[in-house]
Amino acid sequence: MAARVVVIGLASDFGCQVQMTNIEDDLLDVLGTIDLVYWQLAASGHMPEEYDVAIVEGAVTTDAHVETLKRVRETASVVIALGACAATGGIPALGATGDLEAHYGCVYGQDAAQVACGRITPMAIDSVIGVDYVVPGCPIDTEEFLVVLSRALLGLKSRVPAEPMCAICKTKENVCFFERGELCLGVITRTGCGARCITLGRPCTGCRGVAPEANLDSAIALLAEKGITAERLFERARLYNTLEEALDR
Amino acid sequence: MSTLTVEHVARIEGHGTISVDVEGGEVRDIRMDVIEPARFFESMVRGRRFDEVPLITSRICGICSPNHALTSIKALEAAMGVEVCDRTNLLRKLLVYGSYLQNHATHLYLFAAPDYVNLGSVFPLAETHPDVVQRALRIKKLGNDLTTQVGGRPVHPITAVVGGFTSEPSVSVLEAMHTALLDVAKDAVSTAELFAAFEELDLSTGGEMLALSSADDYAIYDGDIAALDGGWRKPVAGYRDVIREDVAAHSNAKHSTVDGRTFMTGALPRININGERLVDEARAAMESVAGLQGSRNPLHNNVSQAIELIDAAVRCAGYIEQLLAEPGESTPVEYQVRAGDGAAATEAPRGTLYHWYEVDDDGIVRAGDVITPTAQNLANLESDMRAFAPTVAGLPEQEFLLAIERLVRAYDPCLSCSVH
Repeated sequence: MAARVVVIGLASDFGCQVQMTNIEDDLLDVLGTIDLVYWQLAASGHMPEEYDVAIVEGAVTTDAHVETLKRVRETASVVIALGACAATGGIPALGATGDLEAHYGCVYGQDAAQVACGRITPMAIDSVIGVDYVVPGCPIDTEEFLVVLSRALLGLKSRVPAEPMCAICKTKENVCFFERGELCLGVITRTGCGARCITLGRPCTGCRGVAPEANLDSAIALLAEKGITAERLFERARLYNTLEEALDR
Repeated sequence: MSTLTVEHVARIEGHGTISVDVEGGEVRDIRMDVIEPARFFESMVRGRRFDEVPLITSRICGICSPNHALTSIKALEAAMGVEVCDRTNLLRKLLVYGSYLQNHATHLYLFAAPDYVNLGSVFPLAETHPDVVQRALRIKKLGNDLTTQVGGRPVHPITAVVGGFTSEPSVSVLEAMHTALLDVAKDAVSTAELFAAFEELDLSTGGEMLALSSADDYAIYDGDIAALDGGWRKPVAGYRDVIREDVAAHSNAKHSTVDGRTFMTGALPRININGERLVDEARAAMESVAGLQGSRNPLHNNVSQAIELIDAAVRCAGYIEQLLAEPGESTPVEYQVRAGDGAAATEAPRGTLYHWYEVDDDGIVRAGDVITPTAQNLANLESDMRAFAPTVAGLPEQEFLLAIERLVRAYDPCLSCSVH
């Protein structure tokens, strides 16, 4: 029997779900191998009682999200965190800095109390439930998604790249931004995107999360040689990784 | 009194619930409850460096991310007095039109079309009408290819920065895109014919219609704010005095009014205000749809998007011809970071998008404001729902709710955009 798959969105811009629809060449093939039983973005219908695989996009920002995730974990045998928001909190987690009421006041002014019900400080989904597979990045890379989904369907172990992206970037023959005294987060960021931004002339901004094998001390020393302070490194790294404990120093 | 609800309305971007209060068989009230959680973008950009702002605001919406990135870039350029070259502007328009092709194809075929053939999704059509589904995927893929070749990827452009582009497509890529655009223009014509043939329910919005407008272009990247009924034009720089935003009790998205009225923004207002500036092929298609010109029926937003697909494909082919004929560079211009404030607007696929920022001498953002198309449309949508509901109240419950959902989907709402 084909695996019954649901796609669930929490606090996000839907960009990773849009990326799922962007696998045009393979979309119909993929749909042929799974039983997509709930995807609000693409089909009418209700969330079913039973399913096997839950693909969760978005950060946790409300009480309702917490309840949804708990139900999902009770039902699904496999949970996949889709994209930076779900995996690390991503951009929505910028709202974890500072006072929640102050954020409300800034956006909604005096009427904030009308809309503030149920909002909690942003979290990644693994702060609420166990996660079996992760597709990092903002947005996800469609090929990486297909690989992770295949591994999940086949029951293979999760395998997320752990090293930073400098090695792959070198193979692309990119000129290092450090040579120009510019900050690039490739030195601490999880590889796997093919150093896409750097190859297109833009320094890495860290959307794939801090690489577990990154050596922050040597990164700080390296940047100091180029006249870039550790403070700037951490400030930029928190853009997508506000909740990353490795940056709490 | 009982309340009918459609929770998590399907085939729209974001989360919303339709609630209909019914008493004695009559509709008492109807609401679009936007249950997307607040994400605080206007608060989150405060204290960040200006060059991070397009990265952050792009994440307001995964569908119209090129518009959010470019509108914030233009607003920051206005704030700091940065002037970019014509080539940069051409490439930026390609980026916007890439999202039109992608968005309109997705909205028309994946979200809207199933309603016209009584299906819950487009997936069954892959078996019964593979040619139609393949056509949809071709248009959508071309849109993604265009944003990828110009911006670096389909969602959240990489290369567009304050001052220009960090990388641009090669001549051979541009030539290939040119050929592909002219091919897809034929698919766009077929799309317009398909949607023109669908019978629409009769409905007339009571709201104003707004769109950007300029004398020499079908304005999607530049122009003044133009009002269809009001007949006025006002500069984008003062948009915060033109559009009034209020907090609505049942919605995390604010509601908007202009001149004390609700209003619509999107493809239908654009066609109504700027239709004469469509490319010939698109204008011919517009003129062939009975009752479209001057239409106040929000359900005509669908066929209007289809006509814009023709315009986008033909127009972008022309832009590429210009880029190929006049080689040059879009490398970011040199500029001084300086204090100031600036506003900008572009036409996103689903309507006008406004951004405003105040920057200090160090390039740190002190304040920001964003009004998204869906936030502008919500009050008008609710008003249309109230007018529409009694006319379909005699239908069985499921059909009644489906009729209301069709109206909602015609607006192509992006509810996650609306709460930002």
